[in-house]
Amino acid sequence: MSPQAAFWIATVIFILAYALIVSEKIHKTIVALSGAALMIVLGIATQEEAFHSPELGVDWNVIFLLFSMMVIINIMRPTGIFEYIAIKSAKFARGKPFMIMVVFSVVTAVLSAFLDNVTTVILIAPVTLFICEALELDVVPYLITEALASNIGGTATLIGDPPNIMIASKASLDFMAFLNNLAPVVVIIVIVYVITLKFIFGKKLTVKENLRRRVMAMDENEAIKDPVLIKKSLFVLAITMTGFVLHGMLHMEPATIALFGAATLLLISRIKEPHHILSEVEWTTLFFFIGLFIIIGGVVKVGLIGLMSVKVLELTQGNLFATSMVVMWFSAFASAFIDNIPYVATMNPLIIDMARQLWPDLQGTALLHHPDLMPLWWSLALGACLGGNGTAIGASANVIVVGMAEKMGRPISFKRFMLYGMPLMIESVIIATLYVWLRYYVLHI
Amino acid sequence: MKARDLMVPVNAFLMPGDSVEEFFTNIRVVRSWEKTCGIRSLPVLDAEGKLVGVLSMHDILKAVYPSYLYETDLSLFTWDGMLESLAPKILGKKVAHLMTKGVITVRDDHPLMECVDHMLKHRISTLPVLDHDGKLKGMIYESEVFFAVADALFGGKE
Repeated sequence: MSPQAAFWIATVIFILAYALIVSEKIHKTIVALSGAALMIVLGIATQEEAFHSPELGVDWNVIFLLFSMMVIINIMRPTGIFEYIAIKSAKFARGKPFMIMVVFSVVTAVLSAFLDNVTTVILIAPVTLFICEALELDVVPYLITEALASNIGGTATLIGDPPNIMIASKASLDFMAFLNNLAPVVVIIVIVYVITLKFIFGKKLTVKENLRRRVMAMDENEAIKDPVLIKKSLFVLAITMTGFVLHGMLHMEPATIALFGAATLLLISRIKEPHHILSEVEWTTLFFFIGLFIIIGGVVKVGLIGLMSVKVLELTQGNLFATSMVVMWFSAFASAFIDNIPYVATMNPLIIDMARQLWPDLQGTALLHHPDLMPLWWSLALGACLGGNGTAIGASANVIVVGMAEKMGRPISFKRFMLYGMPLMIESVIIATLYVWLRYYVLHI
Repeated sequence: MKARDLMVPVNAFLMPGDSVEEFFTNIRVVRSWEKTCGIRSLPVLDAEGKLVGVLSMHDILKAVYPSYLYETDLSLFTWDGMLESLAPKILGKKVAHLMTKGVITVRDDHPLMECVDHMLKHRISTLPVLDHDGKLKGMIYESEVFFAVADALFGGKE
């Protein structure tokens, strides 16, 4: 096949896959796997490249990290620890409606920094519905603020949100790099977020005294089903987190650490039959990633991504501050409307390509970690993660809470979500912009 | 014995457009009329008399039960009066909205073991019985089959 023909075939597969994912006419995992199959069948990429090439193929680091964290959570879920945390939080807020909103948002943000956002929301939202029922409160603002908090919190760490996992793997950035560069701005964003909530909801939410007593009467200790397994899980989680903190020094990939944690917990939890733990792993999500990596590998190979990176650099005339601002804001609005996973999968090789054009002599981490390139990675992470808050479809956590509200007979319209989500998203991206500008272009720290 | 030999003839049924209150009225009528068979559900028929679903006591409980309790283990924390305060939420809802659709049915000339098979595999306690033309002839309840087992063991009806 001529390189030109290959270029166009790969481009058409890529655009078609994107369009179908956005249209939601066919399930995104089916689209991704079909696109991947086409890339290989039509000879754009060989199977060897698709399955095994670190540059063009499936990023197993991402897959095994996600898989392992899912296994750990699946083992922990039935222990009652998350119900315990949620009831404890509601009581800590003394059953006061605005305090509950703040505490639940902060707890969601913190949990999301270490667990998948969707998992966090699936764990917290049902308890929120329950507490709101007990207090006879409208649950909709609580659900929306939690989804937003989860996307903000997830931005803080390497493992908090899939875009970060993908960026970390492609850019060889470690857990501490994410923590050092993203956690400070996320803390600021959460604080400003809570203050904003105070202005929006501070005076609106009230609750009768006798209903508050309902919540205060709940004994969170009763939620705990399996104290032994909780101890084991927390022990493994502590080891895993320590592993993440040290993985750069240990020269281990995050996936290695996570896999070790998952395997250890499977081993010591004395689960006889791992079937149900493994069947609850979100295989559809994992295979969405797998298909997507192969599609992106195809368009990288034929040079489409390279071409796009040339255009971006032309647009910003090689000015890296301008480029990083464009990346952040474009990423934010793109992620508000399309899935940030395919978006980041596309942007990663694009940024690497840009770096190659700017510093043709450099290779490996010298290239990927070039001081002038670093703000671009952080801008991409901030834009893609925070942007998800813009609309009801911007992030999986949003889709989950909207679905739950609908099941409860309290549907949240696209417009209502956006009314809260979009301004708060813009607020957070403005903070992120100031942070990136101040830290990397003014203070250079 | 075949399904038709055990089935309870249909004496009351609902229409999809009925409001849920009809269920409570009719279930009482059936209960007082036929004391022994423990009817827990009513067939739902459309205007042409075709079976479109079944509304059971189970469905009513499901409608009152909040979905978030399915997803967590919070039943320990529920409070006195919660059921009573959530119950009115189902008032005025249409039968079509609450009923179980895509109901498993059995043909009237089919054997009883098939009925048991459906009940166990699909965890249901009611089976609508249809004739060759797909018309509803009656209902078989778990208790009916239980009595058939008792008859087989202890020699028929006294």
